[in-house]
Amino acid sequence: MIEIIRLTKHFGDLRAVDELDLRIERGEIFGLLGPNGAGKTTTIKILTGLLRPTSGRVRVAGIDMEEAPLEAKRRIGLVPDEPFVYPKLTGSEFLHFVGDLYGISLETQRRRIPELLEMFELLPYGGELAESYSHGMRQKLVLSAALLHEPEVLLLDEPLVGLDPKSARLVKEIFQRLSKRGCTLFMCTHILEIAERLCHRVGIMVSGRLKALGTVAELHRQARHGAGGLEDAFLSLTGGLEYSALLKNL
Amino acid sequence: MVFFLLRRKARSVLNSLLRQSPWERARNAAFLLVGLLLIIGLYAAFWRLLRYLDAVPVIGTLLIWKLTALALLTTFSMVALSSLVTSLTTLFYAYDLPFLMKAPVSLRTVFVDKSAEATFYASWMIAATLLPYLVALAQVKHLGVLFLFAFAGVVFPFLALASSVGMAFTLALMRLFPSPRTRDMIWILSSFSVAMLYVLLRISQPERLVRPDMLELVAQYLSYLQAPTAPALPSWWLTRALWGCAHARWDVFWTYAALLYGVCAATYGALVYAAGRVYADGYSGAQEGRRSGRDQKIEETWETRWARGLRLPLESAALFRKERLCFFRDVKHWSQILLVAALVCVYLFSIDRLPLDSPDIKSLVSFLNLAVAGFVLSSLGLRFTFPSISLEGRSFWVLRASPLRVETMMRQKYLFTLAPSLLVGVVLILVSNRLLHADRFISSLSLASISVMALALTSMGVGFGALFPKMNVPNIHQVESSAGGFVYMAACLAFVVATVAIEAWPVQMYFQNKFGKPDAWDWTGVSMCLAGYAVVNAVAFTVPWVLGRRNLESHEERNP
Repeated sequence: MIEIIRLTKHFGDLRAVDELDLRIERGEIFGLLGPNGAGKTTTIKILTGLLRPTSGRVRVAGIDMEEAPLEAKRRIGLVPDEPFVYPKLTGSEFLHFVGDLYGISLETQRRRIPELLEMFELLPYGGELAESYSHGMRQKLVLSAALLHEPEVLLLDEPLVGLDPKSARLVKEIFQRLSKRGCTLFMCTHILEIAERLCHRVGIMVSGRLKALGTVAELHRQARHGAGGLEDAFLSLTGGLEYSALLKNL
Repeated sequence: MVFFLLRRKARSVLNSLLRQSPWERARNAAFLLVGLLLIIGLYAAFWRLLRYLDAVPVIGTLLIWKLTALALLTTFSMVALSSLVTSLTTLFYAYDLPFLMKAPVSLRTVFVDKSAEATFYASWMIAATLLPYLVALAQVKHLGVLFLFAFAGVVFPFLALASSVGMAFTLALMRLFPSPRTRDMIWILSSFSVAMLYVLLRISQPERLVRPDMLELVAQYLSYLQAPTAPALPSWWLTRALWGCAHARWDVFWTYAALLYGVCAATYGALVYAAGRVYADGYSGAQEGRRSGRDQKIEETWETRWARGLRLPLESAALFRKERLCFFRDVKHWSQILLVAALVCVYLFSIDRLPLDSPDIKSLVSFLNLAVAGFVLSSLGLRFTFPSISLEGRSFWVLRASPLRVETMMRQKYLFTLAPSLLVGVVLILVSNRLLHADRFISSLSLASISVMALALTSMGVGFGALFPKMNVPNIHQVESSAGGFVYMAACLAFVVATVAIEAWPVQMYFQNKFGKPDAWDWTGVSMCLAGYAVVNAVAFTVPWVLGRRNLESHEERNP
């Protein structure tokens, strides 16, 4: 469902993504982990067509992003790392706008928009301007917009940041349900607990390169921390354990 | 602490200057060159004017200082007006405010930092146009470099005082009206008052005062020239300080310089004191969103029906609706609409009062009026069309991630901003032609020209807006006063001048024919003009558009 072939992205002298090869199957929830500046957001932006790769190819839902970007975008739902929406549109108007952009029929919008607003507990605020929304409410609105056109692939950059525990749990359940229905989820996150519980496979990216790939159990083995959690495996693979001695001095 | 805050700004500027790519360096060098050429052009025009006035026997010097006082008064009012717009966004809605408010920095320190920013944005462009006037004055009156140093020494409190008007108003507004809806109403009413004041000032015909034939006695005229121009305002104090320097009356210079600095210090002292008491309430009020409670029904909009009827893509209708809702719900645009309406009234009133007698002269002025109307449309474009791409702001990802071509989005921005531009242009020309009783040929030519001009200037506005987007600025004024805005204005002025210059030749043939010259029409010349007109328009329509589209398509590459 998502194919990344020898993907490289340079920003001047900086290699943000370096020869990345990855294949994510239909219905899979894939978590991309890594320290800040590892190249996770750049990868998501290339998958969404916001950035063009320096070399390599990306296929989403079988469509080459370079050859038919609009067709590919039609099949993708994006939740960016910061939920910026038009402040002068109401929540309901924003979803209507996104629905029209994706060519969703009016009948479907009439059914889906109240459904999504209700699911994310935004229905009482659907007529309020988005400028009055809290960060969490905007995050839920962006999630609703990403789900509105029932995408085949969902690209999520830190999707649970700013959500209260109840909403976070709801979102996790929605992701699992979507995955069962065949939707592919590609998620960047720093919250290792989410990756551990939710993702079928996890990749750890460091300095633009995929340092480890596999199920959580496989990563433990790779990191030779069989008994520890994903956090230990992550720190071991990204060099974070070296800081332990420094931390003791604090 | 203020020093540390200001240092971060200096550091940011320095970093962006030192870490430019070759393309950015070339682009900035081009900006500098265009800016320099514009300033040299202004200098040449001011120099000619001041030399002419200086040559007037007996009253030449009086006229020059009267003009200087009026120029400074205009500068003061323009900076004050501009600060009304910038203060609200800079003091209460800037992106870095949440960070600064959370930091262990006193409210007064934050206010000083943000007020310095507001003063800079409200005044730098207006101050830049004042500089060539002062250099020309120094040149014509042989005042030397010392005069310019003296000006540099006293201009800062002058600009700061002008800017304090907007800041005081905004602080009071935010303190007195914490409710967003009331605040919006007051904002619109105050904009309306400013617009009305502008119209009333013009209708009072101040130009009559500088025409000797309007006054009964020579002595009356002389006394007008010698009288202070708004003596209670800092513009007069600056005029007096400059006069003192020019005439080596250092006592006068120091008195007025001290007055400027003293009042500036007192005003800012009072503002900083007031900020300590009211800034927190105002900032807190600014964080409250407007609770609207609008209808949530998902209905087919008239835009969709129209798009379907015209066989346009339906996403165009969605974009148009989004533009309409966002534009009309933002009161900051309303104040600009009111000011534009005032500008149109003043423009037509001024045309009506032109002292012209012969019908042919009136027709000629009708044709030349095309250039002035073109400049008005360019300024309108700078306010509405040029920032339209940048106003997408941080929500731009919504469009970029959706199955939408950049071209479609730009076309929609074009259609949305074309209507007001075309309307204002056509109204200005139609009414002006009627007031001036222009003949049929000139009326038709100017009407057709202004329509094409509106189409081309709007295309340039969207194109240059896409070529120089500023998605991360909180203040529309920062978009307008950016280097891109400057290039857009320079390109528009060049386009308007080129259009009028090309059309001037056939118009000359027309008048020659009218005055009885046989074979006045040179059809080869007319064909050349038509070809030139087509080329100029083709360049105006396509070059900024294509460059802008390409730039926007790779926007994220440069702003990852």
